[in-house]
This record gives sequence, C-alpha cells and structure tokens, in this order.
Amino acid sequence: MGELRVDRISKNYVVNRGFNSSTGLQVFRDISFVLEEGEFVSLIGQSGCGKTTVLNIIAGLDRPNSGAIYVDGKRVTEPGLDRGVVFQEFALFPWLTVAANIGFGLKSAGVPKPERMRRVAHYVELVGLSRFIDYYPNRLSGGMRQRVGLGRAFAIEPAVLLMDEPLGALDSQTRETMQIALAEIWMRTRKTVLFVTHDIREAVYLSDRVLVLSGRPSEVVLDLAIELPRPRDRHSPEFQELELTLERKIGQNRMQ
Amino acid sequence: MASTIMDVAEAQKTQTIPPGVRRFLADTLYVLGPVVVCLVIWQLIAKLSGLPKVIFPSLGDIFGALWTMVVEGTLYSDVKATLGRLMYSVIVGSVVGTIIGALMGSFRSWERALVGPINFLLAVPGTALFPLTMIWFGLSEAAILSILMYEVALTVTVNTWTGVKSVDLSLIRAGRAFGARGPMLFLRVLLPAALPSIITGYRLGLSRAWRILIIAEMLVSASAGLGYRLYWARELFQTDVVYAGLLVVGITGLVLERVILRTLERYTVQRWGTVRELD
Repeated sequence: MGELRVDRISKNYVVNRGFNSSTGLQVFRDISFVLEEGEFVSLIGQSGCGKTTVLNIIAGLDRPNSGAIYVDGKRVTEPGLDRGVVFQEFALFPWLTVAANIGFGLKSAGVPKPERMRRVAHYVELVGLSRFIDYYPNRLSGGMRQRVGLGRAFAIEPAVLLMDEPLGALDSQTRETMQIALAEIWMRTRKTVLFVTHDIREAVYLSDRVLVLSGRPSEVVLDLAIELPRPRDRHSPEFQELELTLERKIGQNRMQ
Repeated sequence: MASTIMDVAEAQKTQTIPPGVRRFLADTLYVLGPVVVCLVIWQLIAKLSGLPKVIFPSLGDIFGALWTMVVEGTLYSDVKATLGRLMYSVIVGSVVGTIIGALMGSFRSWERALVGPINFLLAVPGTALFPLTMIWFGLSEAAILSILMYEVALTVTVNTWTGVKSVDLSLIRAGRAFGARGPMLFLRVLLPAALPSIITGYRLGLSRAWRILIIAEMLVSASAGLGYRLYWARELFQTDVVYAGLLVVGITGLVLERVILRTLERYTVQRWGTVRELD
C-alpha cells in the first residue's frame, strides 16, 4: 500500500483585470507522475511554478481544473487520512499538547483511546520528542514544532506522506539537523513521500528521485533518479554532480 | 531550557530573602500602598476641609454604614440580588451570542442575513431600550433581565463572529487534512482557535452588563440590589450609605473581573500561549 498516481492534472487561475475583464493564467498543464510504494520523491522548481499547488491538489485541499489523483488505485478528491500532510508553516493546534496534536488524526479516525495513546507514544518517540509529550507547541523551538508536524502526519499511518517545504521556515542549521532526522525517520518507516522543496541540496540528500517542474505553464522537465547509498555524504563528488545537473536544468529553463 | 534560564536568574539574586517572598511583598506593597494613601487623603479632607458630613463623610461614617448594612443583612441580600440578575443574564446572553456568532462566522448565508441588523443594533445603546422594556414588561425583573441579556448576547455575538471568521486558514486546512469536517471541524478547530476572541466577548459582555445593571436597578426599582440601595440612600440623604454602596459596587466588580474571568483565561488561552501576560 502506498502508490500515488497523478494523472494529467492542470490548474488555471482567473485573474481579474478591473471591470468586466479577466484573463486565465495556466499554472501547469497535464502533469503526470507516479510514486511507487516506499519511494521518496522530491518535487522541485522555482517559486511560482505551482509545486505547492500540485501538493495541495493531491492532499484534497485544492481542486484541479482537469485530471485526477489516485492513491492505491482509488481516486481521491477530498482530504483524507490516506494522505498525511506536513505544512511549511507547521500549522500545529496551539491549544493541544504535543501528544494531542500527534493524535489528532487518530481521533478523527475513531481510534479508541488506549490504542491511540499507544500509537501516539510510538510516534512521539519516532520524532524524538518523548521528553516533551505534554508540552504545548508555543514552548517548542521551530525544529521541534516541525517534529510534531511530522509526528502528526506519520501517526495516521497514511499510504502517502505529502510534505510542503516542511523545513522551509527553519534557520539553516536547524534545517540541516532536521534533514538528517527526516532521513532517519524515513529509513525506519519507508513510507511513500512526496516532498516539495526549492532547495536542490535538500532534494538530493533525501530523495530516491527528483522531479523538476519548470516553464509556464509548468511541466515535469526532468525525472532524475538519485542512486547514492544512504546515509548520504553532501560533499562527495557524485552528490555534487547531481546537484549541478539539477541546477543546470532549472537554470536552463529560466533562460527560456 | 526554560528551567536553565530560571536557574541563571535565581543565581544572580544574592539577597538573603527568598525571591518568592520578595515578589509577594512587592506585589502586596504595589496593591495596598496606593489604597492606603487614598484613604489617608480622604480622611484628611473629611476632617480638615470643613465640608458637611452629608457631602463628604469620614471613613468612620462610611465603614459604619457598611457595618450596619452587614448587620441588618441588606448587604447580603443586595449583593445576592444583583449578582443573581447578572449571572442569569450573562449565562443566557452568552449562550445565545455564542451560537449566533458561531453561525455567522461559519456560514456565509447567516453572516449576510444578520450583518445589517447587528450593525443597527450596535448603534442603539442597551439603556435606550429601557422605555420599551418597561412598556412591555412593566417595572419588573423581566424589564431588567431582557436588556442585560440583549446587551450580553450582542457583544458576545460580535466577538464570536469575528473570532471564528479570523481563524488562521492554515489551521483549518490542517484540521481538514487530518480528518475533521463539518461540526467536528467546528468543535475541534474553529471553536478552540477562536476562544481568545470569544472569551474577550464574555469579559466585555459581563462588564457592560454590570454597568447597565446598576442603572437598571435604579430605574426599575426592584426590592433589592446594589443600584436600588444607592438610589434609595440618595432619596433619604444617607450619603454614607451611598459611599458605602459605591465601595461595594467597585469591589464586587473587581472581584468578578479579576477572580472569575482571569481564572477562566489563565486556564485556557494563556496556557496555550495565544495571549501573553505582561511581566
């Protein structure tokens, strides 16, 4: 369980240009890709290319103008617990403790309390927050908050995890620590992950495969497999070569 | 983390008095100091200015009147009558206001239908409705309570409505993504997220109701109540009772605000860190 199929989705926005005049803006057109079970795939591209919109559509939080999303062969149009979302701005519930935040989705699913507490404890441990289980989010640092965000998404044991620049709001040091933590968590769970980022290094460090979104309207211009052994060394020549390839591809499309 | 910061702060204090005791003493001094100064000035004016007792009674007269009210039991029955009216109307008004406000914040149709009438009603002071409620209900309890409930409900409605409407969109998206929808989304996300604003509405509603209630008890003379007591003391030229009554009104209002509402806030909003207390 954990296959995600994105089938020819397109998104247009209507831009109002004053009284009785509007033009359509096509953000992306006929985007298709498949995530195999257990694959970690990054979607990268410059800001405005629509990568976050693609993720929101898969999450059911936005609607495509055409095309469809299939999780394990089943078409999805609404938000659901088969997909766990991690937000860039964390979006934790400030009135709930770490444990209750992580258990939020389990409660929606109607998991009975003893079972819920057991699973929450497991996922709190997975994201390394056991000592902070009763804390409210306002007392946690940025990195710890996003650990809660990860825990909340992993805890519902979804078929697919959707991460929208989850480390984008963190400072560069915390970000690097969290990349390592995320790689470890993923190695332990082997979930299917779609990871949206604009950071090429981050994408190469974490992913099995990187999709580059570019152009206007955007499309997938490159599908690059990253076959480096884990844990990865950011300073190895192979790593840097892959970085360069991706950088060139994005840069090349910027020129056009 | 937090504890290490406190350790450093404590280590810096080399005084022999424990910091907890010091803080308590400082707090007490800040609260009681100005009160004592005011009382002394009052007593000096009363004794030295030569103003007649009926205008400026001494502290002895005022506290004497207060003591008489305690002994005769009127203080108890007045406070009880006033607080009873207040609590009844604040509870009814808050429930009604929270429901209407929640509907307005959640459903576009409710909002569009009610925004006009609400804006009109906001422009009408609650006290302006007294002639009307007296015609409807006569000089009765209902004339007082209806106005209080109206004022509380209106205040709470507006605060709940704006509170629910301005809930951070990312929290709503997170709630939906994690399986909350419809009434559950409202109970588990919108309501707690809007709670700071809703509690502000309760506080405002209570303090407005308190103000109106004292006036209402003067106009619609019931058989007991602090406003009623003040009004009749003036009619009988018992100035000391007027001052004593004002003292009771002030202290009761203060206790309501500080004890009941602050406690409510401390246990909810402040603990989540959505509202910050000043150091």
